[in-house]
Order: sequence, then C-alpha cells, then structure tokens
Amino acid sequence: MGEKTVGEKRERYQNRIEILQGTLDLLILQTLQWGPQHGYGISVAIRNRSGELLQVDTGSLYPALHRLEKQKWIKAEWRISENKQRAKFYQLTAAGKKQLTRERSKWSQLSDAIAGVLQPEE
Amino acid sequence: MSFWRRRRREADLEEEVRSHLEMAARESVERGETAKKAEQAARREFGNVELVKETARDARGWRWMEDIVEDARYGLRRMRKSPGFTAIAVLTLALGIGANTAIFSLVNGILLVSLPYPNPERLVSVTGTYPKGAFVAMREQMRTMDVGAYAEGHEFNLTGLEEPVRLTGTLVSAQLFSILGARPELGRTFYPGEDVPGQDNLVILSHALWAEKFGGNPSILGQSIELEGKSRQVVGVMPAEFRFPSPKTQVWLPLHNDPRNTILYWADDFMPVLGRLRPGSTMEQARTELRMFQSHVGALFPWPMPAAWNADASVVPLQNGMVADVRTRLLLLLGAVALVLMIACSNVANLTLSRAATREKEIGIRSALGAGRMRITRQLLTESVLQAILGGSLGLLFAKEGLALLKLVLPPDTPRLADVQMDWRVLAFTGGLAILTGLIFGFAPALHSSRAALTGALKSGSRGTTGRVSQRLRGSLAIAQVAFAMMLVIAAGLLIRSFWTLSHVDPGFRSEHVLSARVAPNQSFCGGAARCLTFYRNLLDQVRTSPAVAGTALVNTLPLGGRVAKRSLDVENYAPAAGQDLSPLFWLHVVTPDYFRVMGVPLLSGRTFVDADVSGEPVAIVTAATARRFWPNQNAVGKHIHLLDDKSWRTIVGVIADVRAYDLQRNIPSWMSGTAYVPYNSSATLEDRRMPSEMTIVIRSTSDEAQTTAMLREAVASLSHEVPVSEVKTMGAVVSDSVSTPRSTTILFAAFAGLALTLGIIGIYGVLSFLVSNRTQEIGIRMALGAQRRDVLRSVMGEGAKLSLAGIGLGMAGALALMRVLSGELYGVAATDPLTFCSVAILVAIVAMTACYVPARRAMKVDPMVALRYE
Repeated sequence: MGEKTVGEKRERYQNRIEILQGTLDLLILQTLQWGPQHGYGISVAIRNRSGELLQVDTGSLYPALHRLEKQKWIKAEWRISENKQRAKFYQLTAAGKKQLTRERSKWSQLSDAIAGVLQPEE
Repeated sequence: MSFWRRRRREADLEEEVRSHLEMAARESVERGETAKKAEQAARREFGNVELVKETARDARGWRWMEDIVEDARYGLRRMRKSPGFTAIAVLTLALGIGANTAIFSLVNGILLVSLPYPNPERLVSVTGTYPKGAFVAMREQMRTMDVGAYAEGHEFNLTGLEEPVRLTGTLVSAQLFSILGARPELGRTFYPGEDVPGQDNLVILSHALWAEKFGGNPSILGQSIELEGKSRQVVGVMPAEFRFPSPKTQVWLPLHNDPRNTILYWADDFMPVLGRLRPGSTMEQARTELRMFQSHVGALFPWPMPAAWNADASVVPLQNGMVADVRTRLLLLLGAVALVLMIACSNVANLTLSRAATREKEIGIRSALGAGRMRITRQLLTESVLQAILGGSLGLLFAKEGLALLKLVLPPDTPRLADVQMDWRVLAFTGGLAILTGLIFGFAPALHSSRAALTGALKSGSRGTTGRVSQRLRGSLAIAQVAFAMMLVIAAGLLIRSFWTLSHVDPGFRSEHVLSARVAPNQSFCGGAARCLTFYRNLLDQVRTSPAVAGTALVNTLPLGGRVAKRSLDVENYAPAAGQDLSPLFWLHVVTPDYFRVMGVPLLSGRTFVDADVSGEPVAIVTAATARRFWPNQNAVGKHIHLLDDKSWRTIVGVIADVRAYDLQRNIPSWMSGTAYVPYNSSATLEDRRMPSEMTIVIRSTSDEAQTTAMLREAVASLSHEVPVSEVKTMGAVVSDSVSTPRSTTILFAAFAGLALTLGIIGIYGVLSFLVSNRTQEIGIRMALGAQRRDVLRSVMGEGAKLSLAGIGLGMAGALALMRVLSGELYGVAATDPLTFCSVAILVAIVAMTACYVPARRAMKVDPMVALRYE
C-alpha cells in the first residue's frame, strides 16, 4: 500500500494549497509588482513585509509559482542573483498585472465583508 | 508533452529547488550558524523536496501522464487476475484488428503507396488505347507531357538454349523507361529512336529471366539471343523490383514503329499510353491538350474512324489508371472487415459490461474514496485501450499470416500485389485502430459503470436501475452485432449465389477430358504459311494416332484463355447505324475442322467444317448471337462475310451455339460485334493480315493429364526442337481460372461473414446467459408461485427472439440500403435479391435461436429452492 500513503500525503499538500491558493497567488503577484524576484526572495519578502507573521510554505510556493506561470500571469527566466548565484527569476506579465488588480479588489471586498460580519452589533 | 521536454523541466525544477536551499543556507550561515546545521534547517524548512516537486509537477499539468502509467499498471494487474476474460476479449479484438490490418495492407500497397518511380505524382495515364501511328503522332505533338506506350502480353520463343522456352514480353516505346524514371540493374534502357525498324533488334531482360536462364552472368550484355528466330542484342537487365506493367513480363522489346506497314501501324495493337507531365504543366493542361489532339487524330488514320473512338479519353494519375479495376473490390473488402471489427467491438463491450456488473462494488468503493467520475471513466477506458493494444499486437501477427493467405486467394494478376507488404503505414494504421477500438468498445461500459458508481453501488445487491440500464445497453449492442453480421452474411449470400450462377453458366463447350496447350513455332518459321501448316498437320496426325486420344484440333484463341483475335470484315446486307463502323470488328476463331467435335460445341444449323473446306471454297461458321444480330429472323446459313483484303467472300455453312469465349459472362468484349470461325489455312488472316502462327492444341483424351502432356511434348519434340510447349492446362482449369476474381471475392466475403456470424451469435448468447444468471432469483420465485418450466423457457426465448428479430430487421434494412455497392460484383442476381435476403434472415434466425436455447434451457432447469437461497 506504499503508493496509497504517498497519494494521501500528496492530497494533504494539495488541500493546503486549496486553502491558501487565492491569498498566496495575490501575495506572490503583489510581491512581483516591485520587480523580478526568485522563489526564495519572494518567500523572504512576504515574511518581512508581513512582520514575520506570514510564513510561506515552500511546498505551496513552488507549485503556486508554476501554476501562475502556466496561466501566463508571470514568466520565469534563469539569471544570476545578487549573490552571484544562478536562480530562476519570476516576473509579472501584462496579464498578471490585470490579474493582480482583480485579485486585490476581490480581496478588499472579501475583507470588508468579513469585517462587516465580525463587527459587533450595535 | 514530449519525453525530452519533460526531462528538461524536471532538471529545471530540481535546480530551482537547489538554488532555494542554497540561498536559505547562506542566509543562516550569515546569521552565524554552522554550514551543516544551516543546510539541515533549510531543508527542514523547505519540507519534503520530492513532494514539492511532485505537487509542482501537478501544477505543471503532467499529472495525467503519470495517471495513465498508473492506470495501465493497475489494468495489467487486473487482466492478469482474470486471464479467461482477457484471453477472450483480446482474441476477439485480434481477429477483428488482424483482418482489418491484412486488408488495409492490400489497400495500402495497391492504392496508397506511390508508384516506385521518381516523382510519381507527375506520372499520368491516358485513358483509351492507341495504335502505333496514333501514338507516334501524340508523341510528336504533345507539349504538356512526354508520352510512352506499351503493349503487354506478347510472346516470344527463346531458342538456342537446351530447350526452347516461351517468354512473355512487353513491347515498349523507346522512351518508356526514361519516362518512368526506371534505371536498369545492368547495362542501359532503350535510347530514343530505337523503336523504328532497323534500330530495334534489341532486348532488355527481367532480373528473374537473367538469373534463371543466363546464370546471372553480366557478360550477357552485348550478346545476342534468339527470339522468334531473330537475333536480338541484350542491352540491359532490369532490377527485380521493376515489374512494369506486371510481374509476368520477362523481356522488353522496342515497339516496331513502321509507317510503311499500314495495317500494323494503324490497326494492330491498340496500346495503353502513359506520360510524364513536363515541368510547369498541369494535369488539367494535359487534359485540354489531349482533347485537342483527340479532335484531329482520327483524320490521320488511313480509313474513317468512328467518332466515338476514344471520345472520352482523359488524363488521370498513373496510379489510379493502373489500379482502377481493383479499387472498388478492395474498398468493398475494407468495408466488410470494418463491419467485422464493429461486431468484435460490441462483443467485447458486452463482455466488459457484464464484468462491470461484478466490479460495481470495487468502483463504488473507489468513488466513495473520492475518485471523480472522470477519473473512473478514464481508468476503465485505459483498461479497454490496453486490451485493444494487446489485441492489436496479436492482430498484427494474424495479419501477417492473413496477408500471405490473401496473396494466395487473390488472382495473381491483381496489379501491384507482389509489392504489397506491411510497412510503417500499416503499423500506424493498426496502432491507431487498436487505440480507437479500445476507446469505442470501452466508452459505453466505462461511462455506464462510472454512472453506476454514483447511483450507490454500495447498497448491497442493488440490481435496480443500473441492472436495467445495463441490460438495455447490452441488448442494443447484441442487436447491433446481429444487424452487422446479417449485412455481411447477406453480402456473402449474394456473392455465393452470383458465383454459383456463374460457375453453372453453360460455357457452350464441354470441358471434361480436354487438355489444351500452346504450341507455337517461331514467327519466322511460319513466314512461309505452307511450312507452318505442314508442321501443325503433322502434329495433329501424330497426336491423333496416339492411344486414348478421341480427337484433337487447333484453335488460335482458346475460349476463356485470355486472348482475343480481332478481324474487321464486311457482312452481306449489313446497314450499320449512324456512327457505327462500316466493317464491324469480329472475333475470328481460326480452327481445324475437328474443333467443334473435340470441344463439344453444339451445331444449331447447317454443318461444321470438313477436311475439304481447308482447300476448297472459302467458308465460315458464326455463333447464334452473331446470326441473330446480323440476320434477325433469317437463316444465316448461305449468307456471306468478307474478311477485309481477303480475295473472296466466304459462305456461312453453319451456325453453332454461343461460346463464352471472353469470360463466363460474355461471349465477346463489348467493343466487338460478332464471332466467326474459319478453317485454318493461308487465307485465314487476322487484323495484321497474317495467318496466325501461334496455335493452341486441344486434345480430347481418356488418359490422364500427365500422360497426355508427355505424349504431346514428345510429339512436338519429334517434329522440331525449336517449338516450345507452354500453358498446358485442362479445359476445366481454364474455366476455373477465368473466374478467379469473383471466386476470391466470394471466398473472402464468406470468410468474413462466417467470422461475423460467429461473433454475433456469441454476442446474443452472452446477453441471454447474463440475463438468465441475473434473473435466477426472479425465475425461482416465479416457479415457486406456479410458473411452468415451459413459461420460463418461452419468456427467455422470447427475450432472445426480440433481440434477434430486431437485429435481423435492422440488418436487412441496412443491407437494402448498402448492397447497391456490390452490384458491380454480381452476376445473374440482383443486389436486392429477395430469395437471398429471406434465406439469410431465416438462417440467422435459426442460428440465433439455437444460441438462445442453451441459456433458456438453463433457466428452465432452475431449481426454485436453490434459486431462492441464491445470494
């Protein structure tokens, strides 16, 4: 039954992606708005900008990057990093910029709605 | 996605992960941790590298590929677990796919593979035939293409070796080889200008002849060989793959284009013409030019040509021109095997469905564990395709054997048959067919089962809705099988009836105990008619005195022997209709007086020839159909005909029964008007105004074939060492060979129909068996409640009868709609022959009901007590 366990584990990972998906995509797109960045850089940027609050799970980050690339919202390119290291840099495409706008407005609607629900009744 | 691209992406992903880990580690080191610890921490933080890669792969979209591999592995495991089912399914598919592959190999090799010459698409065939004079004019005038002509089926005596050999040769215009682009294996082909008198004493050998008779010795080049008593220089040897116009050709000789001999130049051989489009010309331009040529070529003839002559001549691709005759028959066969495959498909679909019933639980569990409907459907389809691929591989083996068998069954003169082989196109066809087959027969069961999974198969013993849906689906599949089988059996029935009619046609002669053989001295030997006639007279005398010989005679063209002899002649009191030839073209049989008695041709009125006719008053005999056509409601005896350029008119002394001389369906080809017989003497000349020198001897004898043949060879050898004896055949074999084409079509259709019927019956049997085993409980209850065994039997048989009748009805309707395509292959029977339709319907009904009876009996024998405890 070895295959099954692997399968189930994979299932768990995917579930986490499901939960984070919308948000993570938004965070990645937002991060790339400031310029091309590699996977590690993106995770560091999100961590730093959220005041170390948001830990991006690498197990979600790379699949998300590849998915976004497949959607043609970002494009990837091998470059030499500031530390003279080869790394794959991701960059926002025109379609990605539009998507970012959409995601942002969706997010603000959502957070408004949730805030509205959570507001103590008067 | 290609394997290599996938590999590259994989490496890419790996590197990306590594660079991430390195960066994370470096940062930790900068924060002051040891390198090793840092790396470990980074790795921990990253999580399971393999899993990340796997999920990233999923996001990339190559998950489906791994799924397929997984499904295939699972499918193989399941197939191993039920070898019986797998064997039956794979075998059924292998039969269907194998038959299709074999027939497709033929279609491919004959119709699809381009001709083995350079730029074959530029090669064209001019429909219509032309005498030398018209051809030479065409060659000089055509601007859009270079044309060449060839006359097949000429025969030459090769002498100077130990014993004389009769060779089959093709006369070709000098440029024919270069137009085709064919290169010799040795030496050269003909140069332009080598097809005129004085330049044409040349010959090119086939590879087979060169190897067989000249030991494959290259020194043959430049040497001379004796053909028809004339020495010809060997200039080249063609390679074994060169089989133009057919594999029968052993030597190629240049045409003898001699304008001084008006008859030979304008009337003798009407030859097919082929061409190669010149650079920049199109087929359409060539057609236009040919139409213009056709409009004035008639005026070049030394006599008026009927306006209808070659009026519809056109230019078509050479490949189409060469295989036009077999195209329809091949496509018919392909249609027939396609039906067989459909039946095989529905059969396996049925099998799969009944197994799906036993798999409902498994599928239910899988879907409960979260497998989507798509996913289950896909998995079931993968299994089907896997079976079909196994079936296809086995089918490929069957096809290889089948193709060898086909080459034996098909008439040997089928064009390009020798070239047919299984190439990459056939392999691709089979591969595609296997996958398609798997999808087709797997689709219904897979869709059905995945739906079943949703309707709660987990409820134990659910036989409710899904059972009924499945039964209906299985029923329709069985109906389809019977219908397809019905169509094929009807087609086979029609062909068998047609073939039966054809083989019971009265050929107009009695073939039993008659042996025929070609005995042909060299044309130069027969240069003096007297010498030739003496030789033949001596031969007949010698053969006649041999014991057991009841009679012997000579004829220039044996009925059904594949040769015709043309002669234009004048008919007394004949007023041709407008546009028709003033001197109609006859088939002239030149015979010795005993011919009619030896061949058993009945005399209808007047008398047959007697010995005195050979040197006496000029006489002739005509056939009944000819007499009716030219002298309706009159007695033909006493009327006269006149061979053009002959000295005197001939008196008709007798009328004989019609002889099927051209083929078993026709006395004469459509372009001829009548048949006349004249005694063999020097005034019995053919269209080339020459007395025939190649005769066929017919011997009626009570001794066996081998003895008579030996006697004949001995008699010929005692008279001349230069005369070969060839084509030794009993008349029975001659008749049988003349129907080899319809026979092969009939055999193949009968075989396919038998296969189809067997598969179809298995289908009905399977459905009913399943029905009975499914309803055991119900039957038990009924019987416990007082139903009689007879009622049970009737109910099951009724179910079977419903399926069979529906299938038979649909099959008949389909056959009515489709059989018209067969009409070209039928003789003496209509494509909608009610007798065939009805008897096939009855036959199929009987066979189907027999197949139903077995499960019905099982149902009848159900013990109510056992049945109620069942499950």
